[in-house]
Amino acid sequence: MVELLLLSRLQFAITAAFHFIFVPLTLGLALLVASMETMYYRNKDETWRKMADFWGRVFKINFAVGLVSGLTLTFQFGTNWGAYAEFMGDVFGPPLAVEALLAFFLEGTFFGAWIFLDRNRQKLKTFSMWMVALGTNISSLWIITANGFMQNPVGYEMAADGSKVVMTDFFALITNGYVWYMLVHTLLSAYLLTAFLIMGICAYHFLKGNNSKVFKKSFSIAVTIALATAVMLPVLGHGYAQYVTELQPAKGAAMDAIWETGSKVPMYLIQVPDSSTGSNSVQLLGIPGLASFLYTGSFSGKITGLNQLHQDELPPVGMIFWSFRLMTILGSLFIVEALLGLYLQKSGKLYTSDKYLKLLIWSIPLPYIAITAGWIVAEVGRQPWLVYGLLKTANGISSVPISDVLLSVALISTFYLILMVFEIYLIKKTVVNATGAE
Amino acid sequence: MFDFLTHDMLAVIWFFLWCVIWGVYFIADSFSLGAGLLLPFIATDEVQRTQIQSSVGPFWGGNEVWLILAAGGTFAAFPLVFSKMFTFLYLPMMLLLIGLIARGVSVEYLHKDENPQIQKAFAWGWFVGSLLISLVLGVAFANFFKGLEIASGGVYTGTLPGLFSPYALIGGVLFVFMSVTSGALWINVKTEGAIAAKAGNLAKKSTLIVFILSLIYLVYSFVGIEGFTTNYSATPALYLLPVLAVVGAVLSMFFAKKGRGFPAFCSNLLTLLFIVESGLASIYPYMLKSSISPDYGIDIFEAASSHMTLSIMLGGALVFVPIVIIYQLWAYTLFKEKIKETEQIDY
Repeated sequence: MVELLLLSRLQFAITAAFHFIFVPLTLGLALLVASMETMYYRNKDETWRKMADFWGRVFKINFAVGLVSGLTLTFQFGTNWGAYAEFMGDVFGPPLAVEALLAFFLEGTFFGAWIFLDRNRQKLKTFSMWMVALGTNISSLWIITANGFMQNPVGYEMAADGSKVVMTDFFALITNGYVWYMLVHTLLSAYLLTAFLIMGICAYHFLKGNNSKVFKKSFSIAVTIALATAVMLPVLGHGYAQYVTELQPAKGAAMDAIWETGSKVPMYLIQVPDSSTGSNSVQLLGIPGLASFLYTGSFSGKITGLNQLHQDELPPVGMIFWSFRLMTILGSLFIVEALLGLYLQKSGKLYTSDKYLKLLIWSIPLPYIAITAGWIVAEVGRQPWLVYGLLKTANGISSVPISDVLLSVALISTFYLILMVFEIYLIKKTVVNATGAE
Repeated sequence: MFDFLTHDMLAVIWFFLWCVIWGVYFIADSFSLGAGLLLPFIATDEVQRTQIQSSVGPFWGGNEVWLILAAGGTFAAFPLVFSKMFTFLYLPMMLLLIGLIARGVSVEYLHKDENPQIQKAFAWGWFVGSLLISLVLGVAFANFFKGLEIASGGVYTGTLPGLFSPYALIGGVLFVFMSVTSGALWINVKTEGAIAAKAGNLAKKSTLIVFILSLIYLVYSFVGIEGFTTNYSATPALYLLPVLAVVGAVLSMFFAKKGRGFPAFCSNLLTLLFIVESGLASIYPYMLKSSISPDYGIDIFEAASSHMTLSIMLGGALVFVPIVIIYQLWAYTLFKEKIKETEQIDY
């Protein structure tokens, strides 16, 4: 049973992580391409048309894999997490069905229309892209609504025999506070990722000496979005940290490896947690009361430490701690890079700042890493609960032969690897061949 | 909402909706699956491949969502069935998934690279994906109609080879050929030039195959499948469903012979729709029929979600399903021109 659980979790992690490589870029690029189409429709400026064409091409390549990899997740709730599906169906099913009804149909139908409508029908083409953008962004609302219940169950009661949850208040489900924190955080990080990808691609062309208007304009839009989102994310994250500490004390305490309950809890700049001893093996440069402030809003706020919580209900502390660190460090780097980019552009030095441009190219994977780290904090941080406080992860799996699961993990991973290689190859080719003049 | 409906009535309504959604999926996706099944065999060069790709390109993505809605709708309305269906048929579902991924990526990436080797690989990817989807679904649905080996307490005792009975195989092949026919007639209607003529000729043969296979399949169902006729005896009006399926197959043959692609296409869809509905009508009120004993099957009343979930979903479906159908039909009017041999698209 332990191996089956591990394999089922591994499979979910692989498929969800893979899907999540494509989703954020889809969310951000859809909105940007739609805006470019609109600008072209309004003032017939060829630069906007070229921008829409080029970024649209990147969008198309990315969208295809995002779409098909999402199917795997829907399937897995039944194939590998059957017990979870039975336990949660009454609450989890509706948001998923509504997502298909409200979002996927929009995306699927209008994506085809947008590709095949030519520029003679610019108005319809623009409209179609807005529908795609609307679809993708609505989609995130519904899936986070479903996920929100797993993090913070609301609007339900247990069935009389305790076998499943039954919905009692749909309104509570969609006004779940967790959902709105997570939705805004997720969307902002998706837009940030998109902005950094655009900046990186533009930087590549500036380095090649290709300062076409398409890339110049794209860069100035992207750097503004990058700065705005990079600044908003930690502000919002601060609120989220407080919220999560109330909701899931273990996750909150694990984020900063706070082992003992206390008030005026310091935050250490250098810290190495050690689960085996229930303490930090290294902690240096503590700033008094900062952790209390971050997690409770007051420098003398009380935080419950990991050692005072149920020991058999703790998530893997090291994983949460390091992921959280990685996310916040990268988050700070993004602010610096965006500020620098804006300064260099305003002072006219951008196109000759080779070091900065190279940094931007190397920064393309960083938001992906930050998002994955954040996702680990949120989802691994809820362990060992699958539905917080209601269903343990171990009780959510399907009882299927372990060989079947092994086979499917191997099959899907191989398939995904091929797709990934091809997708990167195609995007790279599209980017390298672009001149901005076509 | 819908407080005047009892829980059982809501369950029955949702079973009906479930049958409708599956029916819509099968007819909506059939021509893109069929195009994929035919592509490597009838398209001789890149121009013809592009014509086929462009004929389904604007539609297949939106149409496939009906399958996601069918799965999501099952999850929401009948979670127990959702869980059992996917768990019992674990490996077939994985094959279906691989098929869906291969098809989707292949359609989109077919001409994204000039390398003929890569194009060829994606053409075959589209074929293999389409074959897996239509065959697995055909075999799965035949098994649903025949009943799965569900023992007492909802324990599944079936094996993978056990799913491939002669009846299920006929069902699988029938679904493949109904898709082939749908694809051939669609290409015939939507394109111009050599490829259209070739597809039209092919349809003359495949409509005949569909007619023969449907007859065998329906006769086998009514004579050889235990319990298939129970609902039909109780409500003889249901016999209209298989009759319409056969009428569709006859009309499709007739119109294909005359070279009238569009009516032939619609008639073939009629066959496809009513083959599926004939089977679904036979299993009610079970969603997962047991071939061991009817008592062990999972019925809609046992599997249904709560009154609140069913009624909220019903409200949502009543408002949004018509809207979706309207804009999908509208999308077809956007691309009503035939695809010429000269057309180039940045796909």
